[in-house]
Amino acid sequence: MVKVMTNSLVESLARERAFQLLDQGSAYEILGPFDRFGSPHLEKQNIVPQFDDGMIIVKGKLNGNDAVVISIEGKFQGGGIGEVSGAKFAGTLEKILKECKKGNRIYPIIIYDTGGVRLQEANYGLLSIAEISAAIVELREYVPVVGIIPGKIGSFGGMSLTAGLCSALIMTREGRLGMNGPEVIQQEAGIRELDSRNNPLIWKMIGGAARKEAGLIDILVEDDVQNFKEAILSVWNGEIEFKNRTKQIDHYLSLYKSCTLEERILPEVARELLATDTEIQDTELPVPTEVVESTGRKWFNLLTNGKPSISEVPSVLVADTTINGIKARVIAVVPNPENIYYRARKGEVGLLEGWTIAKYVQQAIDEDCDAAEKRLIIPIVDVPSQAFGYHEELLGLYLACSAAIDAYATARLAGHPIVTAIVGNAISGAFLSHGMQGNRLIALYDDGVNVHVMSKKSAAIITMRSIEELDEAAKEVPAMAYDIQSFQKLGALYQLLDGVNGKNPNDDDKKVLMDAIIDAYHDIQKHNDRDLSCRLTSEIAKNGGRAASIKVREMIEAQWK
Amino acid sequence: MEKFTYSFPATKKITNRAHVGVVGSGDLEVLVEPTDDNQAVFEIRTGITGFQDTWKKVIERFVSLNDVSARITINDFGATPGIVSLRLAQAVEVSGNGKGYDE
Repeated sequence: MVKVMTNSLVESLARERAFQLLDQGSAYEILGPFDRFGSPHLEKQNIVPQFDDGMIIVKGKLNGNDAVVISIEGKFQGGGIGEVSGAKFAGTLEKILKECKKGNRIYPIIIYDTGGVRLQEANYGLLSIAEISAAIVELREYVPVVGIIPGKIGSFGGMSLTAGLCSALIMTREGRLGMNGPEVIQQEAGIRELDSRNNPLIWKMIGGAARKEAGLIDILVEDDVQNFKEAILSVWNGEIEFKNRTKQIDHYLSLYKSCTLEERILPEVARELLATDTEIQDTELPVPTEVVESTGRKWFNLLTNGKPSISEVPSVLVADTTINGIKARVIAVVPNPENIYYRARKGEVGLLEGWTIAKYVQQAIDEDCDAAEKRLIIPIVDVPSQAFGYHEELLGLYLACSAAIDAYATARLAGHPIVTAIVGNAISGAFLSHGMQGNRLIALYDDGVNVHVMSKKSAAIITMRSIEELDEAAKEVPAMAYDIQSFQKLGALYQLLDGVNGKNPNDDDKKVLMDAIIDAYHDIQKHNDRDLSCRLTSEIAKNGGRAASIKVREMIEAQWK
Repeated sequence: MEKFTYSFPATKKITNRAHVGVVGSGDLEVLVEPTDDNQAVFEIRTGITGFQDTWKKVIERFVSLNDVSARITINDFGATPGIVSLRLAQAVEVSGNGKGYDE
């Protein structure tokens, strides 16, 4: 037996990975370490930054085709997305999009090695991931967006939602793809839900081979640079049929509706379920015997004048209404204590919720496709988190969230004004899936309104700090704080409404929010903007809230050859 | 986190800049940039506090073996003195042979 020497991509650092993929001598780095553009937020927390902030952007050619590799350094802060690294990623995609619109075909290649949002820069990561997602959805229409998950970390958190949006995904056996990392699930749901140290089980659930067998990714390769190149080229050459998984709403929704969790679904069974491509008979979900009040439900009832929900899933409320003569679809995620997915009973965004949001947003797009005036869409945000559970990861929660993001972004690009009303908690993947793709964000100034990426307890464990240390750091870095006033300092809010009773709204409160929604609606119409750029051009953003995000984009433009 | 700066006289010029390493557990990143003021200037940021004497010795040893006029910047994430010495040697080698990825 002759053993062939392989050139490992997995074992290489992010920069080496990027240069290895591109034709020799063709590539140059944008915003490399010599620009010394590290994170401005880490030093304040006594953490040593890295000069490229762990995000490597290399432009060159692959087999003579213009390409840009966006490569995440998993060894620096777990590949977490902060303000600078996030802006490098989003800004590069935005630049490629601009070039593609001009007719210059440039292929993006993303190498994922990331735990998701960098908890030390929390809400900057959240904003960045929304912008990355928005760019992928738009860019996919011009050029295939290829994602590679080589390992060793894999792709988790908000970044897994962007991976779900890619045109095609390439993995190795070593790679993992999931929304919540095993440690976080164990922390949030207990060791009986998932033992984070049971590695064989985890790879059987979310490892590259399992994801391939389940039909959730496109190509599984052995770790060798040449194999990755061939896989990428096979996507570009059209040898791979694009599955557009986030658009297979009816298929996945009926699949998740048909599951029962009375007994734990084993990984091998789950893979078979997910790989089914025959039509799944629709199952009617039981009507909950008891209606649980929630802030989201109260506001939904107020804004729709108590209209019944048309949604087939009880934990997602959907109704069409008119506000000041403007046609609008209102969507809210609410608790359902009888949800078959027991980790999604308190209003979390889980498998059913993500796909249901996608369904009713897509429905509005389809129904209005010939209409001159596209329906206003109002996501009411009161979401405690995404669902943390064994079955959620096993069955691909990340894709349910990607589908919701895809639907909202597609609606926005099609000309539906989306005005997000943050009336309660807006946390992490749940907020990314439901609200973050809106053209305008409106929030209530209320202590029940919080924006963040993870519970304090989990964040403390993951970053190996105490809760007191986290609170101390949040004073220096507003992006780490949970309260809405701190979030406002980042410049993404269109309006923060004072004097509104968030938890027990009456008709006066309703009027204040409705007026703000109408104002935002007219602002969208006036500017005719369909992207998220207003979050970077607001006065607060320009005056420091997003200083690094803006500067990074300017530097990408200046260094682009 | 601690920061310190050292400078030493130097005579030899180098041609290329170099970047090696990563700010990951037990590792560090090193930037070497040519200068023509006949000095080797070290700027160090480290997450591990209380080891300034060790740093000084490691840098002095490096300077005794390498005479380079350069600005050398270090971001450290808890590398051992051995790793620091290896990364510095690697950076100088890369800068000398011009094999830096960005060149």
